[in-house]
Amino acid sequence: MTSDLRNRLLVLLVLPLLALALVGVWLDYRSADEAAERHDQRLLRLLPALADSVLAPPIRDSEPPLLLLAPPVEDFLRQHPGYAAYSVRDTSGRLLLGDAWVQAAVPTTQAPEFHSVEYGGVTYRVAVQRGRTGAGELVVALADGSDPRQQWAQQLLLRVLLPNLVLVAAAGLAIHWAVRRAFKPLVDLADAVEHRSPRDLSPIDEAASPAEVRPLVRSLNRLFALVNAQAEGQRRFVADAAHQLRTPLAGLQAQVEAWAMMARASVPAPLSLNFDKKHPPAQGVQAPGAIVLGVEQIEKLRHATRRTSQLAHQLLALSRADARSLDAQPSQRVDLKDLCETLLESFLDAATGKGLDLGLDVQSAHVTGHDWLLRELLSNLVDNAIKYTPAAGVVTIRCGVRHAMGLSRVFLQVEDDGPGVPEAERGRVMQRFYRVPGTVGEGSGLGLAIADEIARVHHAALALGTGAQGRGLVVTVVFPPEPPVVGS
Amino acid sequence: MRLLLVEDDVMVASGIKLGLTDAGYAVDWVGSGERAEEVLRTESFDAAIIDIGLPAMDGLELTRRLRRPGMASPAMPVLILTARDALHDRVQGLDWGADDYMVKPFELPELLARLRALLRRSQAATTAVLSFGPLELDTAGRRASIRTDDAEQVIDLGPREWTVLEYLLIHAPKPASKDKLLQALTGWDKEITPNAVEVYVSRLRGKLEPHGVALRSIRGFGYRLELHAQ
Repeated sequence: MTSDLRNRLLVLLVLPLLALALVGVWLDYRSADEAAERHDQRLLRLLPALADSVLAPPIRDSEPPLLLLAPPVEDFLRQHPGYAAYSVRDTSGRLLLGDAWVQAAVPTTQAPEFHSVEYGGVTYRVAVQRGRTGAGELVVALADGSDPRQQWAQQLLLRVLLPNLVLVAAAGLAIHWAVRRAFKPLVDLADAVEHRSPRDLSPIDEAASPAEVRPLVRSLNRLFALVNAQAEGQRRFVADAAHQLRTPLAGLQAQVEAWAMMARASVPAPLSLNFDKKHPPAQGVQAPGAIVLGVEQIEKLRHATRRTSQLAHQLLALSRADARSLDAQPSQRVDLKDLCETLLESFLDAATGKGLDLGLDVQSAHVTGHDWLLRELLSNLVDNAIKYTPAAGVVTIRCGVRHAMGLSRVFLQVEDDGPGVPEAERGRVMQRFYRVPGTVGEGSGLGLAIADEIARVHHAALALGTGAQGRGLVVTVVFPPEPPVVGS
Repeated sequence: MRLLLVEDDVMVASGIKLGLTDAGYAVDWVGSGERAEEVLRTESFDAAIIDIGLPAMDGLELTRRLRRPGMASPAMPVLILTARDALHDRVQGLDWGADDYMVKPFELPELLARLRALLRRSQAATTAVLSFGPLELDTAGRRASIRTDDAEQVIDLGPREWTVLEYLLIHAPKPASKDKLLQALTGWDKEITPNAVEVYVSRLRGKLEPHGVALRSIRGFGYRLELHAQ
């Protein structure tokens, strides 16, 4: 944008400058021409004086005629030493007095003639006249090397073109600098808009923008506000919908879970972690019109109910993780080791039930952030690991501080030795509702999207990798060295 | 065991009631905080499950009131149910006298596990007996025993083994971290090493595993008491 403008300004300013320079050259030439005209007039005036200076014919033939230079001629010669000369010849062209090089064809009439003569690298203006003198009819000539026209041509480059070129170049540089300086606020504004994330729609500081672009900033801010309101409305709708779903889902789940418990109690369980003494199954009286569901059917129902509940919970979590909704909530110091231990406790039964070895590898680490969001992040990662790792697998939750290049960065990590995520799919698994094709097991495809969103809110980076043994998935969240206050 | 369930949502309440009844608890269900307060004036319960979002008097207010003197069972454990899961509510609930909370929707087995843990702890406070499957710890008489249908076998425990087992039992079915066990043991020895915990755990294993009580190692964390089918 600015370079285009700069070029246009350059053309618009340099062309008139060049035209001015040409006009200057022309005027300069005109003044040189007038000066030359005056020089010619002076030579013309001096010619009769030179003719009058030849007072008498020579006494002897071999001697020159008697010459006493008239004062104007003498002045002229004295004023331009080296650039002025004269000659006196007879009508046959023989040199009688003066410099031999001051010569021209003998004029046929008494009218003065002008010639140009090159001598010693200088072009002389030579005025020649044939006329009567004290020594009879002779040809007198005056040469003037200080011809302004000649000098003008020589000095054209140095005196006229060079300053103009310097002026044009200086103007170009000035324009370059001035445009950059004048448009810096605009460029800054463009940069600021360009580098924004699609979710960052906070208004641009109007006061900090120059007056010229303020209307633009105002329009942008108005647009941001509109988009914000729309996104916020959508977010709130999802949050409300998810929230409203929870109560009926809780009822449904409580019912189905109770049935499932009763159904399981009615068939002999081979191995049970039930800590209570066995109770006789509550056998209700079969009401008319009642249907009987098998254990398997009830389990399926329970499974579906749990998935629906989890989806509602995840949707709520996702809408809450939105940066804009966090503004009102203060961030606090979160003990990651504590968090890892809490999550190990809550997932231990699920992992044990699947025959997985769920373990910790934690060092003391703290970050500034939202406790419940980070819990949600880690819980989604651990939940995924447990879901996708086959029986007898190993899932490890890690946290600690990494030292690299003089920086200490806190990290959170979940590693499993399950099927992992192929490298080509890693970018896409963060998308909402995306699941790797061919994935077995339950899942909504929201877990990693939520984790990624929460990491982003904490200015942390979430990366997927391959496990230590070349298989499995490692999800690492690296927090910034100095965690900024979230939401500011 | 008699439980009070305070929940206005019929579906949730009937589901919980069904599950708890099936697990062998006697459940009284009321639909409002006011009604619950009325009942609690005269009748005593072993624990209460209270929904936070009750229509008039909310669950937190009810929890606060039932702790007042004059109530039939002011010391009973209270488990709060909430559809709100913001941290603020959780902290407030625990400040106001709730012992644990669960976020709706929840899984019934987890509710039962939490309830069992709450009951065990409150029971230990009154009867001084902690139990876990066949294992019983009489904290007053400092006696550990394995009770089966027909007999009772006393387990001989050293003081440090007792400390470790007591700690694990109080927290079961949650795992106990090695750090915490170490802290519990520092009452006995000022300079105790993490290895010592392993020593006592392995001794306890030798004494308890033949009776179906296992001390499972949780990698990188600690131990958990579990029951093994025999």
